[in-house]
Amino acid sequence: MKKWGMVLLSVWIVAALAACGNQETSGGNATASADAGQNGSQSSSEPVQIDFWYSLGGKNGEVIEQMVKKFNASQDEVVVKPTYQGDYYENHAKVMASLAAGTQPDVTMIEIASIGAFADAGALQDLQPYVEGKNGVDMNDYIQGLMGNSYWKDTLYAIPFNRSTPLLYVNRDMLEEAGLNPEGPKTWEELREYARALTIEGERWGFSTPIDIWFYEALVFENGGKILTDDGKKPAFHSSEGIEPVEFWKSMIEEGIMKMPPGEKYNAWDVAAQDFTNQRVGMIFTSTGSLNGLMEQAQGFEVGTAFLPARKSFGVPTGGTNLVMMAKSSEEEKEAAWQFIKWMTDTEQTIHWSKNTGYMPVRVSAVESDEMKQLYQEKPQFKVAVDQLEYAKPRPMVPGYKELQEVIMAEIQRAIIDENMTAEEAMQAAAEKAEKLLK
Amino acid sequence: MSLNTLRPYLMVAPSLIIFLLFFIYPIFYMIYLSFTSWNLISPDKTFVGVANYVELFQSQDFRQVFFNTVIYTVLTVFLSLTVALLLALWLNKSSAIYGIVQGAIFSPYIISLVSVSLLWMWMMDPQYGLLNWVLNLFHLPPSPWLTHTDTALLSLVVVGVWKIVGYNALVFIAGLQSIPKDLYEAAALDEASQWATFARITLPMLSPTLFFLLVVNTIASFQVFDTVQIMTQGGPVNSTNMLVYYIYEYGFDFFKIGYASAAGVVLLVIVGVMTVFHFRFMAKRVHYR
Repeated sequence: MKKWGMVLLSVWIVAALAACGNQETSGGNATASADAGQNGSQSSSEPVQIDFWYSLGGKNGEVIEQMVKKFNASQDEVVVKPTYQGDYYENHAKVMASLAAGTQPDVTMIEIASIGAFADAGALQDLQPYVEGKNGVDMNDYIQGLMGNSYWKDTLYAIPFNRSTPLLYVNRDMLEEAGLNPEGPKTWEELREYARALTIEGERWGFSTPIDIWFYEALVFENGGKILTDDGKKPAFHSSEGIEPVEFWKSMIEEGIMKMPPGEKYNAWDVAAQDFTNQRVGMIFTSTGSLNGLMEQAQGFEVGTAFLPARKSFGVPTGGTNLVMMAKSSEEEKEAAWQFIKWMTDTEQTIHWSKNTGYMPVRVSAVESDEMKQLYQEKPQFKVAVDQLEYAKPRPMVPGYKELQEVIMAEIQRAIIDENMTAEEAMQAAAEKAEKLLK
Repeated sequence: MSLNTLRPYLMVAPSLIIFLLFFIYPIFYMIYLSFTSWNLISPDKTFVGVANYVELFQSQDFRQVFFNTVIYTVLTVFLSLTVALLLALWLNKSSAIYGIVQGAIFSPYIISLVSVSLLWMWMMDPQYGLLNWVLNLFHLPPSPWLTHTDTALLSLVVVGVWKIVGYNALVFIAGLQSIPKDLYEAAALDEASQWATFARITLPMLSPTLFFLLVVNTIASFQVFDTVQIMTQGGPVNSTNMLVYYIYEYGFDFFKIGYASAAGVVLLVIVGVMTVFHFRFMAKRVHYR
């Protein structure tokens, strides 16, 4: 009898395991049939649930959460579930993994230079039918300067959402105390002089910026250079236009008037911003998206913003993320996703978003609205990014650039950290790797 | 087949199924993927033969990553075992105060490495960090810690050792306490020196413990990921990029699953060879009672 008990027990375990497996499949069937039911009856009162993954933490993340809440309350057809997924890098990795696992969101933010990589992999939904559909939108009202990273191979995949340009932030009081023009430096050489004048050895640096691809792109554009050739198949940054920005940074860091913020990727951005609000540095480059946060955190001094100082001309890449829809979602989810994307970027919301963060409004009608005009009058710092758009260029977006930008950043860092390495050698090394990546 | 022959198989079936499903199947799938070019979501995986391996072995970055991992592992394992042994010898006494110290040094092991990494980053800040402040107290020059290629990997070793040393010490203490007291009494009667007692009795009797920790620590260090991901993300300039992070980067940041799988296979082979080596050669020197 004892033996039989054991056998029964093991059979029971196996059966239980099998049942677990079955449960999942039957669960899957249940949702599938529910979907089918909804498709069948359009007027069904059940709202469509969609997932939205975003990648802004802190204050800006709170603003997103509030906006989603407002959207959910504003209608009863769609319920959006927002989830914070870490910074841009982390979100990209999670989106990719979730696509493979079939647990992907329906809408997510994608950093603009990576849209090519996602579109090329077939992850993104062509938005043209929705733009032209019955719930369509006038694409001409989106600011043209922000649309450069929305298309991949002439197909519309992404709608601008939290969009930025890099700005020069200055501590106006500190500049004034040092007898400098509080409007900030206008050229690279002035930036160097200002940084020198503001530096107090061991205590304060004049200038700081993350050694990030985004700011490097800006300096290359200002120097009349390009990152990649126009067809995106060859590197172009190893020309003198691309080498001089690295030399510029390297010489200022060696002189001790520019601080290279410690930390990798976005950690370095946080350090630069903290140093600025703690008045450990006088000037930083960072995104206009940090404007509202920095103005609130800056205690006892006035924050000024200006164009990035020019070389041959002014110039910046645009930045931030666009909203995309996943190709894998069901038709019904896509309809809901489109409704959400359209709402998030409509004139009223983009004004709200811009005012509360510092990111640029993405609609022409928003920039021209009385509300924004009034804000620009009260806080002219908010207008700088929009004005700077005149000099803005899209970021490179060929699929290989996602990896290449890490290579370029690493080589710039190498040039700066390693005294025996010149900027030219570093950029040549990066270009050699780029040849392989882009082919 | 009679029930008696079937029964053992039925008994192991649950764990065997899990083992096959979550260990064996993924390993073979990874080996298959390493011969393909795939971006994780495209329906077709292109077969590319050994191209991924060729690229991997030609890559200077991969060579650096490999050596970083080896250096990290050797240093972490050596330091954590040495320090843990010294701690264990010191703490192997029964008194309330030693219990508290034991608890204190063990606590890092149970804290999430992610949150602890953040604390270490603050302490290692080159300008305002606690560690440089302490160095300054002793009139030592400040260290750039995580921000320089020369010191970043060592900084990660410090965190790695700190994390594991309490666990190692605890296991050592358990090992020490299982050594029969009469051996020490005999040694005392023979008036053996402290060093002789340690080298002739403690160390041989402790060798199974030491061996176990060596194997476990080596494999764990080779797979270091959390501290890299949180504290350095492989930088500056790849100086702290190690195998598992490299695999993650290629798989999920650059969407090169085939290439990442090839690196994964290399990791698998290395860890496998190391384990076999440990058991074949090191185990001979282990003294089992």
